[in-house]
Amino acid sequence: MNARTLRVFAALCISLTALGAAAQEDGVLESAVVRNRLYKPAGHPELSLSVGLPVQTYLTAHYFFDVGLAYNLFDTFAVEARAGFAASRHTGLARSISESFLDREDKRVTDELEDLWRMNLHGVIGARWAPIYGKISLVADIPVHFQTYLWVGGGLGNLKRESVIQCTQVVDRAAGVCDNRTAVDDRGSATENYWVKETRVAPVVSAALGFRFFIKEQHGIRLELRDWIFKDSYRVNLLRDDWEAGNPTGEPAGSPGLTHLVQFDLGYTYSF
Amino acid sequence: MRPFRSIALLVAAVPALAFAQGAAPAQPPGSPGPETTAPASTSPGEPPERSRTQRDAPAVPQAAPETPAAPPASRSGTASDEDAAASDTTAPAPAPAGPTSGIAPADAPVLESPESGEAPRTTDAQQQRLVNGAPLYNPNVNVHIVQKKRFADEGKHELVLYPGVVQVNGKFTNHVGTALHYVYHLQENFALQLGGQYNWYSDESDFNLELIDKVREQAQAASSLLLQWGAHAGVEVTPLYGKFAFFNNSLAQFSLVLSGGAGVGKTRHLIRPKVANEVDGQTYQVPARFGDTGNKFLGEVGGGFRVQFGESYAIRLEVRDLIYTARVDKVDGCNLGDFEALEAARAANQPFDGLSLSGSCKVAKFDGVDPETKKNYREDIILGRDLVAEPSSDVLNNVSFYAGFSMLF
Repeated sequence: MNARTLRVFAALCISLTALGAAAQEDGVLESAVVRNRLYKPAGHPELSLSVGLPVQTYLTAHYFFDVGLAYNLFDTFAVEARAGFAASRHTGLARSISESFLDREDKRVTDELEDLWRMNLHGVIGARWAPIYGKISLVADIPVHFQTYLWVGGGLGNLKRESVIQCTQVVDRAAGVCDNRTAVDDRGSATENYWVKETRVAPVVSAALGFRFFIKEQHGIRLELRDWIFKDSYRVNLLRDDWEAGNPTGEPAGSPGLTHLVQFDLGYTYSF
Repeated sequence: MRPFRSIALLVAAVPALAFAQGAAPAQPPGSPGPETTAPASTSPGEPPERSRTQRDAPAVPQAAPETPAAPPASRSGTASDEDAAASDTTAPAPAPAGPTSGIAPADAPVLESPESGEAPRTTDAQQQRLVNGAPLYNPNVNVHIVQKKRFADEGKHELVLYPGVVQVNGKFTNHVGTALHYVYHLQENFALQLGGQYNWYSDESDFNLELIDKVREQAQAASSLLLQWGAHAGVEVTPLYGKFAFFNNSLAQFSLVLSGGAGVGKTRHLIRPKVANEVDGQTYQVPARFGDTGNKFLGEVGGGFRVQFGESYAIRLEVRDLIYTARVDKVDGCNLGDFEALEAARAANQPFDGLSLSGSCKVAKFDGVDPETKKNYREDIILGRDLVAEPSSDVLNNVSFYAGFSMLF
């Protein structure tokens, strides 16, 4: 598939060599093909607020709340700093695994699951490249101007991890209880759990593909598909006897890979 | 790791989207092509409303274009204000009684009532000339025209090939395939479509295998059902169209397409992953084995963009959801009772010939030894039984990203 894709892209690149030649020869048309570029953000700072929802959940789910401050160096290029907080949780699947695994005595040596780190506070600085400017005709008389952009940047994120395998104090093995709940069926009454927890601060890379729809001069709506990427970290060759005794066990995985948090972001932008 | 391929493909498609429209040349002057507007400008001496909306005055060509435009009266029906900024649009200024520079073009509007109207703000006859219904050269006029679509779809046939169809929501399954669609555009914004898709890769996801390996858990059989191929018929609507520029250099016209349909799809389920089989000190690699779980009703909804370049070609970037209900109570036609009987016979090392099985059970698939890998198929009976031991059902959403190109004729 890669070879095929490359061939298609190469053919499309070659087609660029005759960009708009016919129309430009006559001089009747301006070089700008979407004339009346109504909104020119160059030189303007902007403030944005966004909410991110998970596109796909596995063992964790994240809900991002970000604030961004950007400066448009050109109409097509801006630098932006984004910071915020992500509310996160284990999914129902993760809870189900944790409860059933407590009673799975046939698995006494195992590895931690991948992609269990959850991000909370985070901040990134990046570049936004918006080479595409266009219009959509919503109805006959309401054109909507938009930009399509790519966003790439990096920064730091505060991460936490709560195991769904290693319970240091099993309360009820058959019922899968590893917390101090007052009744077996009342998970909400627990104030503390005994799953192994870790925290760390790690470099984070973020990349996005988005649309910015202009609303009058100063307002805009942004729709993004954004990926937050950081290096995973987990332990392997864990011994049940050790972790249930509260002792550290196993060793770090050699090639833990990367964790991707793919979000659909909905944002508002105010341009000064 | 898992969503990486999907987002990478999405991101990679953007330059292609931009590149593709390079094949669409900007509109030649005589055709009803892209928006023909005079550069935004305010009346002389009037300060700009906001610096970001300022535009340069156009350069007047040395020679008038050879093709005269139609009289302005015939174009009035196609001209309309497009942008808010154009609300202060001034009608084309009437031409002066006598040109002050050069000879007035034949299509230059004439001053109908010189004594009643306001004085023309330009006296250059060339600036009065209309191009595609707009006084392009008149710096005093800000006119925006929503022109016709460059390419009409009505009555056309469209053949779409999607070489890459990649599942983007694969929690327990992964699918990669190729699709071919035929679209007949009944009207400009409404079309009928027929489509087929073959997933040349369909397997359980790494995430599911990780759960099996590390915590002895796996998705229910119905939740990890694999779609081998699908065919559907439906409709497609294009409620929106627009255009965009890549670095101000070239124009592309695009449509938002929404589709929906219904059809049928063939499903299967993984019985046994790829394993190594050791016989008489020799190791054989046994490929993964899948069991037929039958044909299922298929629903399809989707949306995306169609970027047209030229009159006959387009690129399509779409996301489609293939929805199918899944209930796994048979594998290769054998139900739980069949598997129980087969397993009992296998344990007793008896032949399967005399067993009372359901008519649909393909018993041959669970009997014998593979001559190449020496794998005894009877060992798979217990795995098949596990799949149907607790009949499961689910409604699956197979959401995929479709990247393809089409030909219109």
